[in-house]
Amino acid sequence: MIRFEKVTKTYPGPGKPALDNVSIDIEKGEFVFLVGTSGSGKSTALRLVLRESRPTSGRVYVAGKEVNRLAGWKVPRLRRQIGTVFQDFRLLPNKTVSENVAFALQVIGKSRSEIDQVVPSTLELVGLEGKGDRLPDELSGGEQQRVAIARAFVNRPMILIADEPTGNLDPTTSAGIMKLLGRINETGTTVLMATHDEYVVDQMQKRVVELAHGRVTRDEARGGYGSTVV
Amino acid sequence: MQLRHSFTELRQGLRRNVSMHIAVVLTLFVSLTLVGLGAMLNQQAVKAADQWGSELQITVYLCRDGDDNPACLSEVTDPQKQQIATVVEDSPEVAGSYTETKAQAFEKVKELFGPERFEGPDAALTADDMAESVWITLEDPDEYEGIVSALKGLPGVARIQDLRDVVGPILSSIDALKYGAIGTAAFLVLAALLLVANTIRLAALARRKEIGIMRLVGASTLYIALPFLMEALVTAFLGVALAAGALAAFLKFGIIDRAAQGLTFMPWIGWEDYYVTLIGIGILGPVLTLLPTLLLTRKYIKV
Repeated sequence: MIRFEKVTKTYPGPGKPALDNVSIDIEKGEFVFLVGTSGSGKSTALRLVLRESRPTSGRVYVAGKEVNRLAGWKVPRLRRQIGTVFQDFRLLPNKTVSENVAFALQVIGKSRSEIDQVVPSTLELVGLEGKGDRLPDELSGGEQQRVAIARAFVNRPMILIADEPTGNLDPTTSAGIMKLLGRINETGTTVLMATHDEYVVDQMQKRVVELAHGRVTRDEARGGYGSTVV
Repeated sequence: MQLRHSFTELRQGLRRNVSMHIAVVLTLFVSLTLVGLGAMLNQQAVKAADQWGSELQITVYLCRDGDDNPACLSEVTDPQKQQIATVVEDSPEVAGSYTETKAQAFEKVKELFGPERFEGPDAALTADDMAESVWITLEDPDEYEGIVSALKGLPGVARIQDLRDVVGPILSSIDALKYGAIGTAAFLVLAALLLVANTIRLAALARRKEIGIMRLVGASTLYIALPFLMEALVTAFLGVALAAGALAAFLKFGIIDRAAQGLTFMPWIGWEDYYVTLIGIGILGPVLTLLPTLLLTRKYIKV
């Protein structure tokens, strides 16, 4: 579903590459944690999947397509297959919860009737039934992240990318969010989550890919945050 | 494509940035009016030059039957015409020349005074009453004495008209007005372009969060740019409409009701020239707003 083949990404200016000859292969339906300290290259890897930037060398495949060779006008189509969740939620403050979720469908041209049907069911899935008319700042952080997840998932993407989704949340709320991401993963959606939240990684016992200085230093099928190999 | 969102955005965008939009509309209005004015003055200059020749020209009227000039014994003959043509061709002062036939002269008169008076059995004039003429363009407007004296007194020449003294000042003042209008318009067009660019910058900034989300969820570039393009079109439309009104007022109250009444010897521009100008500014206005919008939206909302 997502494959990095000897990917190197160098940003302009002096310094080491953000990603250095990285190869990762993620199968359809997998749940993968991308861990590592700040600056280890996690966010760069996610940006490459979204085609927000292109690798300096090597290839990135998403859903069978080599994204760095994708024509510019095809990029939106790629992104419709990928849901994205961020640490800072990125909700529109002047729109209600329902409108925030519906927005993702409106702007890709879905019909009103389809939106009216799918938005409430998605809100129910993320545990926000009855809160569709609230504004984001009337919700707790965890609830806001649920709205963001609903927005990312409402179009039923094949891949869900989460960049530090629990970074702003307390452990109990984080656990709820992780449960939700787990449920989404069970529907067959591939989840790639960058994090340095030790607790959630240890709890989930999913595949862990660790990056350090732009290189893959560990790739374990059922790992914890810290190295299990002592 | 669902355009509901685009129209909502358009409405919000116009309201959010209303002072900037008014500035754009007013600048466009004035610059398009000046461009239109320049174009209409140009048409006026062309019309005047068609009638009288440009300021470099002198006109040699040939004898016609029953000419006022006693030197004209009869209608100009072909050998006489031949001789005149040779003199004109051989003169170093002449850059070029052409002959205007009786029929062409008649057409001009009809155009100037309206065709009604020249048709039917009791027409004021017929083509036969008109004189054939040779229109000479000079190499240098100040060197004309040689050719004038060579032609003067030649058999078949009724009179030589050097309208440059009369037409020159009129044409040069039309020209001055034209270039003044176009020159001022050029500055204002630049101002309009910059204003549009600033408006887009502000609007993109105000909407950066939404634009970011739209990009992430896979909205097409066109869809993201659409509200901006529609805003550009709305301001262009308003600017063009105001300019069209101002130019129509100029034509009606300045030319048709005033100048054309007072100075009837001159052919004046009319509504058909106005429509041509209108097409011009109708294209220029949207181009002026869409061009910076397209360039800047590419920059600000790149996927």
